[in-house]
Amino acid sequence: MARKPAVKKAETPEFRFRRLDGGFLVTNDFGGHAFLSNSDFSRYSAGRLAPGGKVYDALAAGGFVKDRLNFDNLSGNWRARNESVFHGTGLHIFVLTLRCNHKCAYCQSSVAGEKAKNLDMSLPVAKKSVDLAFQSPRNAITIEFQGGEPLANWDVLRGTIKYARLREKKTGKKLTLALVSNFSLMDEAKASFLLENEVSICTSLDGPEALHNANRTYAGGNSHKQTAKWLKYFNARHDSQYGLKYRIFKPSALLTVSRRSLGRGKEVVDEYIGRGLEEIFLRPLAPIGYAKKHWDSIGYTPEEFLKFYKEALRYILLKNKAGVKIREKFAVMLLSKILKSRDSGYLDMRCPCGASVGQLAYNYNGDVYTCDEARMVGWGGDDIFKAGTVNDKYEDIISSPVTKTVCASSNLESQPLCHRCAYKPYCGVCPVVNYEAQRSIWGQMPANYRCRLLTGLFDFLFGLLKDAKSRAILESWVDAGASR
Amino acid sequence: MKKEFKVDPGLYSEEALGLAANVASCARVAVKKSPRGLAVEIEAEEPDAAFRDFMNEALNQQCRIDLVKKNFKTSQLILANALVSALGQKNSREG
Repeated sequence: MARKPAVKKAETPEFRFRRLDGGFLVTNDFGGHAFLSNSDFSRYSAGRLAPGGKVYDALAAGGFVKDRLNFDNLSGNWRARNESVFHGTGLHIFVLTLRCNHKCAYCQSSVAGEKAKNLDMSLPVAKKSVDLAFQSPRNAITIEFQGGEPLANWDVLRGTIKYARLREKKTGKKLTLALVSNFSLMDEAKASFLLENEVSICTSLDGPEALHNANRTYAGGNSHKQTAKWLKYFNARHDSQYGLKYRIFKPSALLTVSRRSLGRGKEVVDEYIGRGLEEIFLRPLAPIGYAKKHWDSIGYTPEEFLKFYKEALRYILLKNKAGVKIREKFAVMLLSKILKSRDSGYLDMRCPCGASVGQLAYNYNGDVYTCDEARMVGWGGDDIFKAGTVNDKYEDIISSPVTKTVCASSNLESQPLCHRCAYKPYCGVCPVVNYEAQRSIWGQMPANYRCRLLTGLFDFLFGLLKDAKSRAILESWVDAGASR
Repeated sequence: MKKEFKVDPGLYSEEALGLAANVASCARVAVKKSPRGLAVEIEAEEPDAAFRDFMNEALNQQCRIDLVKKNFKTSQLILANALVSALGQKNSREG
């Protein structure tokens, strides 16, 4: 009896899926993704998708067909997407002082008043911090000066920059220096010193004048005016640097989205464009430290943030279509992984997270924390995330129970819901946020604020990728590379 | 008000219950082990509601414990790589 020949089917290796826009998104641990119609998904998941079609070929290329796996390519993709797992601590955050002359509504840095005593880092502690940072095995490290307002401790900032540059020469490591400042204490002499020492400059800009000043109260006057003045100065210095013996980086700005920002996404984007900035980071508030205590007045639900984000990003895409050069950093960081299997260096979205192994936060008094958010929890009186002090050896901090525990708890292979989530290949959890919001470093994802927010963000971005015009713009952003 | 609830030891380990007890915010929870099995004593204004919250967290912890067992090798390999690389060494299992 003649039998109908068996059709070779697409055997399915492990994959994850999520209903999206009337179809399905499938992803895998190699970082591959594909959009499937309901019928193709049914066939594929049942192993009944016949070879030869466009869908089959796309799935095969993404590592979704068992007998067509190119392990060299796929494992290379996994490694590239998780590159940070193979290097040492790259980011070293120095909190030079907790003092600040601003009283911001969200005050993420948990600062004290301008005249508070004993909250400055001393030069000996700063030098020890530099020595500790240079113990990282990484060939290239970044030291970021934060506060408080770091310019309020100028002499130590100046001395630390000089010392760090000396250590750079001595060790041969590549050193990037970065300053996050509100510019209120900036002057020509300081600016020139910073630029001559190739310090990249970042400030806070929350939007147009009224919004910015409402968020960022400055006893000394108009915060927005100072920000605008010095952004203009640093932009001009960047644009006219030809012939100099040192490089001047384009200044950047950080946006903190508070409740006041909701519904004002377009104004905020226009402000960034108007100030000559080519990148905007639509950054949600983290419900930790000071912000957690005042959440009812400054915070929002994940859904409210997502509404703001979608509105602003659609507007940015429109601006791009009109030829304006501006891109959104959150999208760039997530899409680097999704589209290019590239590690964006975003420490909160790694597996494990960047706790100690990606970043360290050095407090003014020499205490060392797994990250800056962990330092803020410490300022609130709970030192659960303190990994050591500047008197310790780097390897002791990395080997500390705190580092091991935080890294283990942010490993997505041990997170029940994350393990099954379609966005696992591109996502990460934050034990500090979990601890602050849910009293457990592991958190409970079904009810987790950050998880709801990120899931919505991924849904939106994957939805945009289905639209050819939006996709082309998003791809161009990723091709240009993430700045940090 | 105090109330004691029995818990199925076939579903929940003492470890998961202990971890959940540490996370509980609106109740005092004591995990009790006896030859008859596991029980939790809840002291709260509304012990039944607190018990439901507690068991939600216990389920979360138990799922995590089970997953860690299942994914032990992969999980440990990634973790070891991150920690060993940060120390400037190479994970010998990676080659």
